[in-house]
Amino acid sequence: MLRIENLTKIYGGKRAVDDLTLHILPGEIYGFIGHNGAGKTTTIKSCCGILQFEKGEIYIDGISVRENPIACKQRLAYIPDNPDLYDFMTGIRFLNYIADIFGVSTDARQERIRRYADMFELTENLSEPISAYSHGMKQKLAIISALIHDPKLIIMDEPFVGLDPKASHLLKLTMRSFCDQGAAIFFSTHVLEVAEKLCDKVAIIQDGKLIRSGTVEEVKGDSSLENVFLELEEAK
Amino acid sequence: MTGALLKKQMLEVFAWIYQDRKTGKNRSRRGIITYGLLYTVIFGFLAVMFYVLADTMCAPLINAGFSWLYMALMGLLAVTVGMFGSVFNTFATLYQAKDNDLLFSMPIPVRTILIARLSGVYVIGLMYELFVIVPAIIVYFLNIRLTFLTVLFTVLIPVILSFLILAISCILGYVIAWISSHLKNQKILTVIVSLAFIVGYYCLCGSAGNVLQVILQNPGNFGRKVRGVLYPLYHMGLAAGGNVGSMLIFGAIVLGLFCVVYLVLAHSFIKLATTNKGSAKKKYVEKTARMHSGDRALLTKEFARFLGSPAYMLNCGLGILFMLAAAVLLFIKQDTIIKTLQMMSAGKDGIVVAIAVAGTCMTTTMNDMTAPSVSLEGKNIWLAQVLPVSGWSVLKAKLHMHLLLTLIPAAAVIASVEWIVRPSLIGALFIPVMTVLFVILMAALGLLCNLKMPNLTWTSEIVPIKQSASVAIALFGGWGIITVFGVGYYLLARVIAPYAYLAVVTLILVFADIAVIHWLKKRGSRIFDQLTS
Repeated sequence: MLRIENLTKIYGGKRAVDDLTLHILPGEIYGFIGHNGAGKTTTIKSCCGILQFEKGEIYIDGISVRENPIACKQRLAYIPDNPDLYDFMTGIRFLNYIADIFGVSTDARQERIRRYADMFELTENLSEPISAYSHGMKQKLAIISALIHDPKLIIMDEPFVGLDPKASHLLKLTMRSFCDQGAAIFFSTHVLEVAEKLCDKVAIIQDGKLIRSGTVEEVKGDSSLENVFLELEEAK
Repeated sequence: MTGALLKKQMLEVFAWIYQDRKTGKNRSRRGIITYGLLYTVIFGFLAVMFYVLADTMCAPLINAGFSWLYMALMGLLAVTVGMFGSVFNTFATLYQAKDNDLLFSMPIPVRTILIARLSGVYVIGLMYELFVIVPAIIVYFLNIRLTFLTVLFTVLIPVILSFLILAISCILGYVIAWISSHLKNQKILTVIVSLAFIVGYYCLCGSAGNVLQVILQNPGNFGRKVRGVLYPLYHMGLAAGGNVGSMLIFGAIVLGLFCVVYLVLAHSFIKLATTNKGSAKKKYVEKTARMHSGDRALLTKEFARFLGSPAYMLNCGLGILFMLAAAVLLFIKQDTIIKTLQMMSAGKDGIVVAIAVAGTCMTTTMNDMTAPSVSLEGKNIWLAQVLPVSGWSVLKAKLHMHLLLTLIPAAAVIASVEWIVRPSLIGALFIPVMTVLFVILMAALGLLCNLKMPNLTWTSEIVPIKQSASVAIALFGGWGIITVFGVGYYLLARVIAPYAYLAVVTLILVFADIAVIHWLKKRGSRIFDQLTS
């Protein structure tokens, strides 16, 4: 579903991402772990077509992000770590805006808005302006807007930050059921327990380089993911 | 404790001197000096303006035995200017201060917080008042015989007068806070108050000359009216002449009024400052959503941004009202306009049309919605970039909003112009065609400038709207283009007929439109896709 081949992104002479290769298959939840400034967000933004990259290729559902970005974006949804949404819109107006852009039919959007807004307990707030939303509510709205067009791939940057425990739990359930239907999720996180329990595969990035990847069992072995991550950090 | 609060309040009041609003960082020493010099020039210009006004009034009124009326009128002007400067500040400082919650949570008496806040408003009111009252006092001192009491009281008057400004600003600020806390859409209040101010300002400027003439011709009558309506200012005028009794009455009235206002505020301050303004929850009721195309969704988003921001509407869309007002005024004053046009054109139809085109285009230049539109994406830029739409689609929506909001009111101006000028068929075609081409060019140029000079890191939207190079270029560039074409005709008038010149300009506009839109489609679209906040 997502194929990153030899991705290299340079900022002012410094390699933020260096020759990174990752393959994410349909049905997989893929966790992306690394310290602050390791290159996670740069990789994620490159996959979404927000950042241009110097070398390598990224394919979404077999389509090149570089050559056909719009077709790729049609298949993916992105949830940033800090969801800056349009403050001048109400929640429902924002969801309808996203649905219009993706060409979601009236019936389908109504059913999905109802289902996900009820699930994340945001229905009551949909008529309010986004400027009145808390960080967690904005995060929930961004999640609903990501699910509204039924994407094949969801890319998330620290999706659990700001969510209350119930919403976090619901998001994990939604992620699992979403991938069980054949879609894929690629997300970054600092919460290693979540990565260990939720992910099918994980990748660890350090200073822009991929240093370990595979199934959770392959990466952690007999230890915990936290121990492996800390050992790798100390060995730097 | 009070000292620390007062110091913090003064730092806040004078932050504009040492802090850059664009970046939120402190200015360098050189920056502070440059900024200080710039403001000295601007404020100096204002002070000179008030000096000229004071000089016009002072001698005639003193010679007619109405020296008190001179000081009362200048005092009234000082109060008006001071209120203008501090009333919105009062609202923001007293009721919307960002650190209200922090201060209320600290072991500080509410009255101490209120006194610190009021001291900030007092200083702002005093600053604005001084622009008027200092030139007025200088002129006054040059025209009267000075005694110890006249000097002492005249110097004390601004200090006391600022308490009057503070009291009135607090009352008006209280009214604004009350309306604001009962109004769901506060943007409406901002737009209405701002428009009322703009209309009031132009009405005042338009009638100032006549009012001054009436005062100087019959100071006795006017003095009686002022004495009846503005009793404290009457005594202020007498006090400036050294009258001890009047000084005591003026001081007692102003300080008494301030004390009453202070007691009322102290009683209700916490309630007003902590009211959750206008956020009454609107219950969501599911409605059948209508599906729209992506282009329509992008255009609707642009309109939502425009209508959701009073600053954007008032600064970049004021031309809409201006054009509608111009269309009506042209119609009402058509006789005068026809005479002026005949005088300027010596009866040549082509020249009349050229002037009509230039005038119509000029009225459209006050709209510059595209010029800050890319910067206004700010931290939301990722949304436009991650959705399956091209950069050109987003830019096109911005262009379309500008064209719709400018060409519709421009059509009213064109209709009015055509009605008045009644040109030949070819002339009647040139006016709308050239206006449309010019509006397209200005919309596209605004976008081009903003793509070349974007600012996506602002903390207040007023920065890209009012303080950006792209807006300045778009606004003055339109006038520049019209002037260049005007000068061009002036230089070529002997060798080219007016209609031939208009045809050449039309062709230039067509090519310029195509070139700029082609640039936006190709290069502009790529730049937009690569912008990062």
